[in-house]
Amino acid sequence: MDLELIKKLIKVVEKSEITDLSVEEGDLKISISKKSENVNYVSIPQQTAVQVQQPQVNQKNHTEIIEPATSTQTKSSEEVISTHEVKSPIVGTFYRAPSPDADPFVKVGDHVSVGTTLCIVEAMKLMNEIESDVSGTILKILPDNATPVEYNQTLFVIKPD
Amino acid sequence: MFNLENFDIKLDTEYLGREFIYFEEVDSTNNELMKYPELLPNGAVLLAESQTNGKGRTGKTWISNPEQNLTFSILLNEDLDKFSLPLLNLTTALSVGQAIENLFQLDINLKWPNDVLVKNNKIAGILVESKSKSNLIEKVIIGIGINVNQPIFKGNFEIHPTSVLKELKREVSRERLLSEFLNIFEENIETLVYNPKEILQNWKNKCKMLDGKIKIINGEIVKVGKFIDVDNEGFLVLRKNDNSLETIAFGDVSIREQD
Repeated sequence: MDLELIKKLIKVVEKSEITDLSVEEGDLKISISKKSENVNYVSIPQQTAVQVQQPQVNQKNHTEIIEPATSTQTKSSEEVISTHEVKSPIVGTFYRAPSPDADPFVKVGDHVSVGTTLCIVEAMKLMNEIESDVSGTILKILPDNATPVEYNQTLFVIKPD
Repeated sequence: MFNLENFDIKLDTEYLGREFIYFEEVDSTNNELMKYPELLPNGAVLLAESQTNGKGRTGKTWISNPEQNLTFSILLNEDLDKFSLPLLNLTTALSVGQAIENLFQLDINLKWPNDVLVKNNKIAGILVESKSKSNLIEKVIIGIGINVNQPIFKGNFEIHPTSVLKELKREVSRERLLSEFLNIFEENIETLVYNPKEILQNWKNKCKMLDGKIKIINGEIVKVGKFIDVDNEGFLVLRKNDNSLETIAFGDVSIREQD
């Protein structure tokens, strides 16, 4: 089995908007599906450890993307809820409200649109206001108010409409 | 009133201040520029003679007499991935300091992260705000207040204010100061892209607290130690009394020299 190929495919899925990917080559079938940003599982159904491919084969020619609706592999697994994560663009302090005595910008359960202000992340007096890039419902607010956050740390989980 | 001709004649930039918006009064130049209804080019400057709600960090206010000082904001919306945003703070403070020094030969002292002082009194304040869609930064607004020709400051201040007038005992041209600042700032932004270490070094050369003993107050927590460096991210490096190092990046931090 070509582990490198599987690793590459996982990367492709991680980096893209695709939530489900199935690849068939000879008698090898690989299907990958992800929940939000994380790759959940890699299943290799209907096959045992079999040699996969010739070296130097351009994998792209053999890669087939199947729409989630038509993918039979995902149906056997738990239902995948697609969520969207809003991450921090900078290292800083997470603020849920514009000033200490003001109401928070958003709460869990609130509906937000594209452009709704979610929070402020501050680093060295640089106040960075973060807007939602999707419309949907706030499922989770991960950091506590006024606590440090890292670059690319997930701040909000949103269930898109 | 701000004389556009006097400003324009000395402006030697490619993009900073080439789009110039003038207001008699706004709530805050940062707010006005952030919500400006038209699409503005990179480097647009919005200046107001007076602000009804001039602001600093976390709800603090910036008070400035109309027509005596400079209160303005700059929009950056291109090439934002080419430099470190925290370093933009230091670059802005450095540029304000250099402009004041060049024109008026005042001895500037920069205070981490972005205050501009003359003899421990505050002559300029900076508030950088940015707007991101998720983790993509779309625009950066740099708000700057420089005390130019204001003779008297009334009120209670965290750091006592001063102005160019108070230091020099004469009025100076606000227009000339703004064009000088924008000329220097544009050059410094270019240096920030290609050689951020030079900016850091220039900033450190003008920071009199460096190597001194300081107190860092973050709400209830007080840390004491020696201010030994500013790292490549622009964060303050503190050597604590047990000789361990701590990098200070966050939060409501205020710094005092130890008594």
